[in-house]
Amino acid sequence: MENQTKPVDGFRFLPPSLAAWIRALLPSHEYQGEIPWTPVEKPLSKLTFSLVTSAGVSLRSDPPFDMEREKREPTWGDRSYRVLPRGTTARDITVRHLHINTTYIEQDLNVILPLDLMEELEREGIIGRLAPSSYSFYGFQWESTEFLEQAIAPMSRRMKEEGVDAVLLTPA
Amino acid sequence: MGLAGRYLEERGFSTVVLTPTHDFNRAVGIPRSAAIEYPYGRLLGQVGDREGQKNVLLAVLEVLRTAERPGEVRHLPFRWPEEPKETKWQPPEMSPLIKLFLEEIKKARRQEAGGERS
Repeated sequence: MENQTKPVDGFRFLPPSLAAWIRALLPSHEYQGEIPWTPVEKPLSKLTFSLVTSAGVSLRSDPPFDMEREKREPTWGDRSYRVLPRGTTARDITVRHLHINTTYIEQDLNVILPLDLMEELEREGIIGRLAPSSYSFYGFQWESTEFLEQAIAPMSRRMKEEGVDAVLLTPA
Repeated sequence: MGLAGRYLEERGFSTVVLTPTHDFNRAVGIPRSAAIEYPYGRLLGQVGDREGQKNVLLAVLEVLRTAERPGEVRHLPFRWPEEPKETKWQPPEMSPLIKLFLEEIKKARRQEAGGERS
């Protein structure tokens, strides 16, 4: 596929200054360390999936992600997470994110977290199952990995309980 | 998001990240990436475009199914129908981080334009 398709320009939608800044922060060479790997050992039609987005999506019945502290401390990002059950739609959610326009997600959750489409693929037999829970955390984590223990660790425990095999992640 | 993918992969889940900026793979080492040239916050497609969103989702699942080696990046062939300036993906207010680093950000562009770093 890589040879047949025009390479994606990862900076096309960024303003030129911001693109230059990010390019300067990134290494110029390929990643050198080890990369973890869990092989896919079953067909898609036998796999149980969960979805994770970093778009700062919460149920209206849960507290929204904290943007006020980030406004006071610009390098701090909320480290918590929220569960988004299957069946969640744009009507059920609040979106908080200071780095993107959240309007589109508030109109149609499928643009970043395709719960509804995964249920359709489940009905069509293309995937095995969408797990009861999917998740959001908040993607702005400047030079901090605390979110791994505070958000991703509890998600992964719940995924194990729900028999999840594979996870689709959509950053924001 | 790459770190989250690594964390989950280490704990026995197979993961794929649908990413608008696959270049982060150089910093993080992401197990499987599906790169897409779509604006931030709408990685599956336009609001209400169910068919387009589904096509992207199926392509991402195909990357999950067929990726062969850790760190693999597949470039998806989809094209966003608007020019970048028309997409209005940025927040209504400049983010606190951008405000904080604004001078450095402007300097990075001048340096890049001046060839100080390619």
